Amino acid sequence: MLPLEKVKVLSFGTGGVVPDAGKIFGELGADVIKIESKDNLDFMRTIGPDINNIAGFNEANRSKRSFGVNLKTDLGKGLVRKLIKRTDILLENFRGGVMKSLGFDYERVRKLNPKIIYVSSQGFGGGGPYSDVQAYGPMLSSASGMLSIWSQPDDPYPVGSNSPLPDHMASKHAVIAALAALDYRRRTGKGQFIDMAQTEVAVSLIGEHFLDYTFNKRVAKPVGNRSQYAAPHGCYACKGYDEWCAIAVFTDDEWDGFCKALGNPAWTREAKFSNLQGRLKNVNELDEHIRAWTSTLDAYVVMETLQASGVAAGVVQRAPDTLADPQLKWFGSVIELEHSAAGPRLYPGVPFKMSGASPGQSTPAPLLGQHTEEICRDILKMSEEKIKQLITEDVLHTPANTQSTGKGMFG
Amino acid sequence: MPPFVDDIPHPEKSLYFLHRNAGKRGITLNIETTDGKSILKRLVKKADVLIDNSPPDYMANLGLDYPVLKKLNHKLIMASITEFGHSGPYKNRKGSNLVDFAMSGVMITSGYPGKEPCLCPGTPAYDAASLHANIAIMSALYMRSTTGEGQYIDVSVHETARLGLYPWIVPNYSYALNPGGPPPTTETRMGASIYPVYPCKDGLIRVIALTPRQWDALVRVLDSPEVLQMPDWRSFMYRIGNADDLYALMLEFTQKYTMIELFEAGKREGVPIAPILNIEDFYNSPHTKAREYFVEVDHPLVGKADYPGPPYKWSETPAAIVRPSPCLGEHNEEIYCKELGYSKKELVALRSARIV
Repeated sequence: MLPLEKVKVLSFGTGGVVPDAGKIFGELGADVIKIESKDNLDFMRTIGPDINNIAGFNEANRSKRSFGVNLKTDLGKGLVRKLIKRTDILLENFRGGVMKSLGFDYERVRKLNPKIIYVSSQGFGGGGPYSDVQAYGPMLSSASGMLSIWSQPDDPYPVGSNSPLPDHMASKHAVIAALAALDYRRRTGKGQFIDMAQTEVAVSLIGEHFLDYTFNKRVAKPVGNRSQYAAPHGCYACKGYDEWCAIAVFTDDEWDGFCKALGNPAWTREAKFSNLQGRLKNVNELDEHIRAWTSTLDAYVVMETLQASGVAAGVVQRAPDTLADPQLKWFGSVIELEHSAAGPRLYPGVPFKMSGASPGQSTPAPLLGQHTEEICRDILKMSEEKIKQLITEDVLHTPANTQSTGKGMFG
Repeated sequence: MPPFVDDIPHPEKSLYFLHRNAGKRGITLNIETTDGKSILKRLVKKADVLIDNSPPDYMANLGLDYPVLKKLNHKLIMASITEFGHSGPYKNRKGSNLVDFAMSGVMITSGYPGKEPCLCPGTPAYDAASLHANIAIMSALYMRSTTGEGQYIDVSVHETARLGLYPWIVPNYSYALNPGGPPPTTETRMGASIYPVYPCKDGLIRVIALTPRQWDALVRVLDSPEVLQMPDWRSFMYRIGNADDLYALMLEFTQKYTMIELFEAGKREGVPIAPILNIEDFYNSPHTKAREYFVEVDHPLVGKADYPGPPYKWSETPAAIVRPSPCLGEHNEEIYCKELGYSKKELVALRSARIV
């Protein structure tokens, strides 16, 4: 059994946040339909030569059906309105104002379906001067204060990461909000509108720094990997090119384990390192000693040696490490799916276990318009002739008539 | 855990604690005592959800594992969060936010090329676990409305950070892996070249120009300097390959404008340009004010201050911080006496026996 069986989700998403949220709903058993159009592609379909064979798109859009429709036509809009009427949760993250210009803003959608839960996820959120700004993960960390403290203290300026954090934290928040609204609707019969700001998700992840400002009038500066309550606490270069092991020592017991793992060399017995205060005060010298030890060893040897002594240590890992990770193999965390355009490829599974359900029975991402005909037939109850006619008239898009126009949303 | 209000180390003044425990009530209970266990069982009988983050086997060794608790309340949903999970070869390993972030695959992409990979601010690995636990719990609650039964949820920081913080890492690699082809390059620290950060008149901006159209818009934002109109620059891969040269060229133009001028011109022309706001800038931003994002909370010990609110606005059920984070044991009397029916005398006895 799946937790969200019979829940119907309609997704007007693009990029990372809403597609990932829709994927999570799909893995939890909801029927998720992605509204797509060949003339206005999800930009993730446009970052490579084949719209159906893009890793990021095919990850973010698993466990969904694709309904290809021309939203510039009244007929196309009419079909989407019919789908809205049977929808429990509508997700959207178009640039602010786009849903309104399409005629699918909350005010109009609720007239079609008063019980609908409508989650609008804008970069900066609605109701302010920046509500129509297009959102990208790297913008959100920049505009939220997060990037301003995301660097080593001696970096010239912060560059954060090329991973679009916090996009995939925002997607989880969108799911949580929709599930809470679903629970409220179950109890009261009432739908509602949820306006989520992705910048505010970033802020909530670093709330303590905002309290440091509102309580202490201090504007946080980057501290890199240093901690005020652990030392050593950082990544230490190991043998080889760009190989690192992260080490975190909090308690004196862990420090004893750390020293033992190194074979209790003389420097570890110096009084200045014997407690946390001393280790924090002399942290540069401490780090020098540790680097001298790690630089001669394979990062995995460092991790195993320290873990065997009860010290938190982990290799700074890359994708191939994830595939080889014994714990993830034990859980079966990585799954393989056969996609008709991309072939057999690996994807992350659902990272939690439920005793009463088996989420994660994932299906591969749809080709553009892969389920258009099926949805017309089974849900919209249209005749075969009518479906064929609308395909010919370019109202409906199917894989057969969706050779990319190369026009992409941003291309 | 620091930082503290007024920099005074005190168990009620940790800012991390105040932020993450707002909205809760708090009681103390020593569940390692016989009486403590039976009190917990009484609480479990009335609970919808029990969340714990004790080490593997801890609850089971106390006789408080899910099968036992479910007998008392078959509707109970129990979510247990551990560093590496309740089974498997890493079950007894030590984790931490830093270590789990290192193993997430995101850290190797964070910071400057060649330098020490950099931790993302906050506790991203722990937040990955709490967000996934939240999704699992809400799903189990939804399921319970039809089945009438609770269930057990097992969440590990390691797995959620690895698969959830940036789920595209494994697919990106897998799609680049082709039989007979060269081994794919793995992700590394490319933030500075893919999403470059430039100085401007009054601070820094970050530019997200990936497509040719976005690049053209960026050139227009900078008043179309001739040197940027060379056709090669329109190619993303060319820009990545010549990132240092491009950076040197761009400096001359970006510094003519303010953060907000570039942000707004980017919006107008169609290229995402973000101002790099610091904590104070975000707090004072007109958009933040318009959304009334920060909410004042009054805490009995540390007083009034603005807190970050929930990151969403709801039309029917406005979410809010309804109470400050609890002081240690603040609601003992309210919960033990008013809700479980212990007399004040009994509470005193429980307190002196160090059970609460």
